[in-house]
Amino acid sequence: MPERYHDLRQVKGYQTHIDVDNGVVESTGTSFFDETVIRALGPKGWGVVILDSFDPDAGNMEHAIEEASALALMTQEEITLAPVEYGGLPVPPLTEDPVNVDIEEKIHLLLAVEKAAKRAEVKNTRATYMERNEEVRFLDLSGNDEHYQVTRCGFSVMAVAARGDVMQMARESHHTIRGFNLRHQSEQGDKAGCLAVALLDAVPARGGRQRVVLDPELGGVFAHEAVGHASEGDLIKEGNSVLQGRIGEKIGNATLTIVDDPTLPEFGFEPVDAEGARVHRTEIIRNGNVHAYLHSRETAAAVGYGTPGHARAMSGDIPQVRMSNTFIEEGDASFEEILAECRDGVLLIGSRGGQVDPGKGVFLFNAEYGYLIKGGECADMLRDVSLSGEILSTLHTIYLIGSERKMHQGYCGKGGQSVPVSDGAPYLLLQDAVVGGSESE
Amino acid sequence: MRWWVVVNPSDRILRYGEKRIEEVEVFSVGGTALSVHLKGRVIDNAIITRTWGMGIRTFEKGKIGFSSTSDPGRWKECLEAAIASGKVATPQEWGGLPERRELPSRASTSDPAVSPEPDIVLPLVEGMLQGAEAYPEVRITGGEVDLFKGEVDIENSRGVEYQAPRTRVSLSLETIKGDSTGYEFDTSTFLDVHPSAIGNKAAFLAAHGALGGGIQTGDHEIILSPMASAQLIGQVVIPALSGRNVHAGRSRLAKLRGKQCMDLGISLYDNPFARGLGSTDWDAEGVPARRIDFINNGVLQQFAYDLKTAYRYHEESTASAVRSGFGGSPSIGAHNLILEGERSDIFEERALYVHDIVGAHTANPLSGDFSVELANAYWMEGDEPGEAVRQAMYAGNVFDMLRSIVGMGKESRVVGSLILPPLRIPAQRIIGA
Repeated sequence: MPERYHDLRQVKGYQTHIDVDNGVVESTGTSFFDETVIRALGPKGWGVVILDSFDPDAGNMEHAIEEASALALMTQEEITLAPVEYGGLPVPPLTEDPVNVDIEEKIHLLLAVEKAAKRAEVKNTRATYMERNEEVRFLDLSGNDEHYQVTRCGFSVMAVAARGDVMQMARESHHTIRGFNLRHQSEQGDKAGCLAVALLDAVPARGGRQRVVLDPELGGVFAHEAVGHASEGDLIKEGNSVLQGRIGEKIGNATLTIVDDPTLPEFGFEPVDAEGARVHRTEIIRNGNVHAYLHSRETAAAVGYGTPGHARAMSGDIPQVRMSNTFIEEGDASFEEILAECRDGVLLIGSRGGQVDPGKGVFLFNAEYGYLIKGGECADMLRDVSLSGEILSTLHTIYLIGSERKMHQGYCGKGGQSVPVSDGAPYLLLQDAVVGGSESE
Repeated sequence: MRWWVVVNPSDRILRYGEKRIEEVEVFSVGGTALSVHLKGRVIDNAIITRTWGMGIRTFEKGKIGFSSTSDPGRWKECLEAAIASGKVATPQEWGGLPERRELPSRASTSDPAVSPEPDIVLPLVEGMLQGAEAYPEVRITGGEVDLFKGEVDIENSRGVEYQAPRTRVSLSLETIKGDSTGYEFDTSTFLDVHPSAIGNKAAFLAAHGALGGGIQTGDHEIILSPMASAQLIGQVVIPALSGRNVHAGRSRLAKLRGKQCMDLGISLYDNPFARGLGSTDWDAEGVPARRIDFINNGVLQQFAYDLKTAYRYHEESTASAVRSGFGGSPSIGAHNLILEGERSDIFEERALYVHDIVGAHTANPLSGDFSVELANAYWMEGDEPGEAVRQAMYAGNVFDMLRSIVGMGKESRVVGSLILPPLRIPAQRIIGA
């Protein structure tokens, strides 16, 4: 039963977590994983076998490929694979390898971050630490045999404030691939505590169309949700994206460039993609025009306009076209100019997540808090405010782009898989956006 | 001949562990799944997943350790890692793991008709495609059918040794017409799913939405589908009912025990023996499962506890420990959370029907405040779908929303760990685009 192609991706390693809650070490532990995905491309589509604790060198590889090939006979989609450049990037060195830090010291440092969030009116504090070490091996029919090891770690701290019946929460976090990051982080706890208390006096937003300023974190989520997902080659191939067939079309102003770049040493870094392809920077939007899509080998062959290198997979799962480090390039406006140009509107800060329907072209994301802008200056604090819009019309409303970009880390879910990503942007001014809030006009 | 096999090492772990520490618990999950994914109307890939993994908890002088592995050969390393993690945990009051009891089998957790076989998967795929053919102008963009058959085991050093077979059938279909999208799904323990109805509904939603118009910003009477309300209730209410969050000051319901928090005709309870996806005779710590009446006729009665939280706050476990797999410690959750009340024809009078929402995970789990985007919303009048609303947001508060329910539809639907009917709610803030 000849397969046209096969590959294997094995991810093994450990994950350590610490959870402290109001000064108590609620749980800590280390878990071990070893998951292997074997794909075979049959006469039409893919057959895949996913196994735990599989040793590709122990003589079972042929059985697995045979089983995957047999499964491939169930498929009818005629898949071809685009050629790729192989070769991985070096993984950026760790400033301090977390494996060399005792669990007791990690707990001590995490408790210090959590303690810094405590103050009057803060009723509960909680902090978590996560450390994940992955050894990845990729083999394919062409004889490629890639190995790399990457360690991701990070923490989050949350404060809950209450006054009477009003309760609010705030959260700060930082995750990285550059090494142990729990030292000297008390100010993150302090920030979460201050913000939770301040939110007790915040007011709900007024719903409706308004001018909106996005901070770099939320601007990054905007790039990710509104543009990044819609540029994913699998959605383009399925006809489930409003960016399908729009290469070369102007959908934003000439200063707007949106990029996905897995080569950056940020949280979404990949030394090589999940199909063994060399990773590279892709400009999705260049100077306001749709320029390229993100691709796997399958979608690059089917759709074009871009090259493979954007396939990613959670351990024990199949490759999907995914973003990595997604951002809006810097413009030249200062924050003060952006506020002054906005005059009256809302400034939205921080992200509580977002979601997009790429086929309909509608996105939504939620800010952690915000401020009313009155006469070009920040006024009342706002809580529970979100922003939605249509991708194609909203990009045209980006009127000013700030000059300083910051990246923030998170996890992105798609098709049941969650992968580490980072997003970023400078401050952005949107001339006309739909803000969700429960207050009447 | 099988070329892949797992030998569960639980017995060896318990025997070895008992010499080292006071108590040990081994929770394992294993099974085989067959999944096929559609691209357009054809199958793009077929996947067999064989998984097995175990989570070990250790208990010594009130210190709880945890580790997990998917490699049975590394059980000793996993046990040592659990013991090591317990050494750095904060000690707490601990009254011991549950002892073995003879449990009558009341929960249906599997269906012998479900097996990860191509001859079961393919008719389900075909059924969805046929159902969608009622709307030939609608294009299918993707879909999925999964069949899982496996087993969940828990053993502890007090003699608990429970096993439960598990099966699961999941189907979903995504559709599009122009820039109007549709999505419908079903998940069941049993082979009682209706693939044709799923395909038909997914295609209808895309077709109907393509004719959508706008909506005036204001307060509107709405009907929330089980799919829409389950996302908001799951994000906000289940955490608020957790005893851990109640005692930690993270629940808005903490001060409402004994007080009215919903309409007097409405109850909210967890029934692990109901026909749902969380059906079980024992919770994720081996405590015998039981019904929990959280809100009885509008009045908040009790909160959910696992063993750890119950011992810490001198409460009784409500057998509410759940696990999402073998890789994590148990947490407090719901098995089959059921919203119940008097049923009526809530579709008779005009209201905005909200089939789905976008962004429910951004709702504030503490305050309950949310603002989400509507998906597949349309006016209903006299049981007939009317004009669709193309784009609008919905903002409010989940607790206030539940207090405002004025009607419950006749048929409940299982959505994850919730079983809910459609809900009619007046004066909800809709923001037109």
